[in-house]
Amino acid sequence: MKNVVLITIDALRRDAIGIYSKKNSLTPFIDSLRNKSIIFKNAQATGPYTQSSFQGILASSYYLEYGKEKNISSKKILISEVLKRNGITTAGFHSNAYLSYYFGYNRGWDHFYDSMQEEVSDMYPFIRGDAINLKVNYWLSNYVRQKNYNPFFLWVHYMDVHEPYIGEEKYIKLIDSNINIGKEKMFELFKEVILKRDISNCDNVELLKKLYESKVMETDNHIKELFDIFEKNKILEESIFIISSDHGDEFAEHGGLSHDGKMYSELISVPLLIVNWDQNKMINCEQLVSLIDLAPTIAYSYGLKTPEELKGQPLLPLDNYNKNNCYGEAMGKIGNKEKDTDKPVYYYREEDFKIIFKEDGNLWEMYNLKDDPGEKKNIINNSASKRLLKDKLIPMINRWIK
Amino acid sequence: MITDEENNKIIEENIRKSKEIINEAFKKFDNDQLAITWTGGKDSTLTLWLIKQVCDENNIKIPKVMTIDEGDSFPEIHEIIEKYTKEWKLDVKWMINKDVIKAAGGKLGADVEVNKLNKRNSEELIRLGFTGERFPFEAESWIGNHLMKTVMFNMFVEKYQIKGMFMGIRWDEQAARQNDEYFVKREGDSYTPEHIRIQPILHFKERDVWNTTLKYKIPYCKLYKRGYRSLGASSTTIKKSEIPAWEQDLENTPEREGRRQDKEAAMERLRKLGYM
Repeated sequence: MKNVVLITIDALRRDAIGIYSKKNSLTPFIDSLRNKSIIFKNAQATGPYTQSSFQGILASSYYLEYGKEKNISSKKILISEVLKRNGITTAGFHSNAYLSYYFGYNRGWDHFYDSMQEEVSDMYPFIRGDAINLKVNYWLSNYVRQKNYNPFFLWVHYMDVHEPYIGEEKYIKLIDSNINIGKEKMFELFKEVILKRDISNCDNVELLKKLYESKVMETDNHIKELFDIFEKNKILEESIFIISSDHGDEFAEHGGLSHDGKMYSELISVPLLIVNWDQNKMINCEQLVSLIDLAPTIAYSYGLKTPEELKGQPLLPLDNYNKNNCYGEAMGKIGNKEKDTDKPVYYYREEDFKIIFKEDGNLWEMYNLKDDPGEKKNIINNSASKRLLKDKLIPMINRWIK
Repeated sequence: MITDEENNKIIEENIRKSKEIINEAFKKFDNDQLAITWTGGKDSTLTLWLIKQVCDENNIKIPKVMTIDEGDSFPEIHEIIEKYTKEWKLDVKWMINKDVIKAAGGKLGADVEVNKLNKRNSEELIRLGFTGERFPFEAESWIGNHLMKTVMFNMFVEKYQIKGMFMGIRWDEQAARQNDEYFVKREGDSYTPEHIRIQPILHFKERDVWNTTLKYKIPYCKLYKRGYRSLGASSTTIKKSEIPAWEQDLENTPEREGRRQDKEAAMERLRKLGYM
């Protein structure tokens, strides 16, 4: 039985990874894993921001299942709890306040580091990847030093790609050698442009995108470091690595920045790779899959059946996976601050068709992603299959009505 | 297991490195441009002791010492500070944000009305982006920590025109410290005077601090003997164990766990990201 390592990168767009993009690669290390990977070309998150998506990733459940609380409901079960009950050692390392002890994400971990007791600066309001790696290294080296250690489940989450996008010069120069701005200026862009969702100046948006890309390069290097730690401890080949993100990030594709309560592909489409050293070829999976299926996949890797509290089904073995749809929900907030008046937004996707319902304004949208991957042309009024998709979404919307 | 001999070697090597940094600081700055931050905790007391060693060896006067009373400190902390102020003949300056304490009527948790604060404190609140009319008086909350500690620190540096502040920060204490250097320049702005932070015990692990403290009989606050690992504000620090700090499993349990304030910490992070 192998160890399973879940690596999640906050706010990492799918198209920022070389494997998924035709552009110059920002992620040489992740790309180098391709020949040992199953690459899911069409993976979707269950929501467009951390609070909504991580309930899918770690608890295989949808955000609003038991109401609109941000903390994880006691009726839900985290994959860490499932594994711990089955005698598997669990350890989690991250620096996202929404995934902290306070919101209940500490459940089921033998070792849980959420960094909330650390002091952080305004420019780097989280612990950076190199420091996360040091924590992991310390734990891992001590753990594998035991004589007959049991397989473990490790979750490592990196925040570096998340705004405020304070980039390092060496990476920024690789993206665009003409960019010459200091960190103070980058921080000002965060406050004046990102927080205000001000997309009126295209140059600013383009500059932010490049700073974002420099953070992706930086993070690729942190992931390389993490793999080095595994190699140093001689357990690389004894471990399966799952690499994904909780959601993407917007750069004015649908009139905004960052990641608000919207259900478009720049936020919902996520990278997903399963890396296994025993596998000596690249396997592409074109099927539509959802991150709701990750926790059952992790349980499967330890030979465990999917507990009934989990909503998803295992992605492995690939041949047995037969879903062709996915679903997500969140509060339709616009801007970083949530308001009491925010209303839910839902999406349902089946093959190339996606339908979105915004409770605020009672708005329906539908897109054909094959012809219109940018989701610019709403076909809700002229699609023959709209009834079919609406019927799938309506029960989810109506589950509030008693 | 590490043998006693190896342990002694680590202790002596750590002390040698620290003294080298302290000597460098005395070369860089005049004595009255330097000051020592002392909280009465184990790290800053070790730092102070090391500086005193260097001063005694070279017949130099010990620089000014700054200590902050955040209005919620342990009496045991006051006890050790007062005792060694006398015994080591230190020039200790107590920094207290009296304006905030007065506005809270001297009571922890009491509401502080913003319009009762003086100009400096009100301006600091605006700078933090706080727009409420009142806040509860707590030393370790987002606002409390800033007004009671950061502002007092800055005022001290300003008042005594300090160029170099000795501080007892350690690499292994917090992950955020991992990239720190022995000399760190703090850029000035309209609120923070420019200064250099000198961190001579960066390389000490928590275990090394105790090994050195016990070997050289360096004073320590008696709360550590009762099980406290890390000392913060009195009302929000708890002990996780009943045995002395140095007998606890320092390597596998977090040092600052007893100081954790889950909600406040998570909220502060979210505020920094503009989520609150």
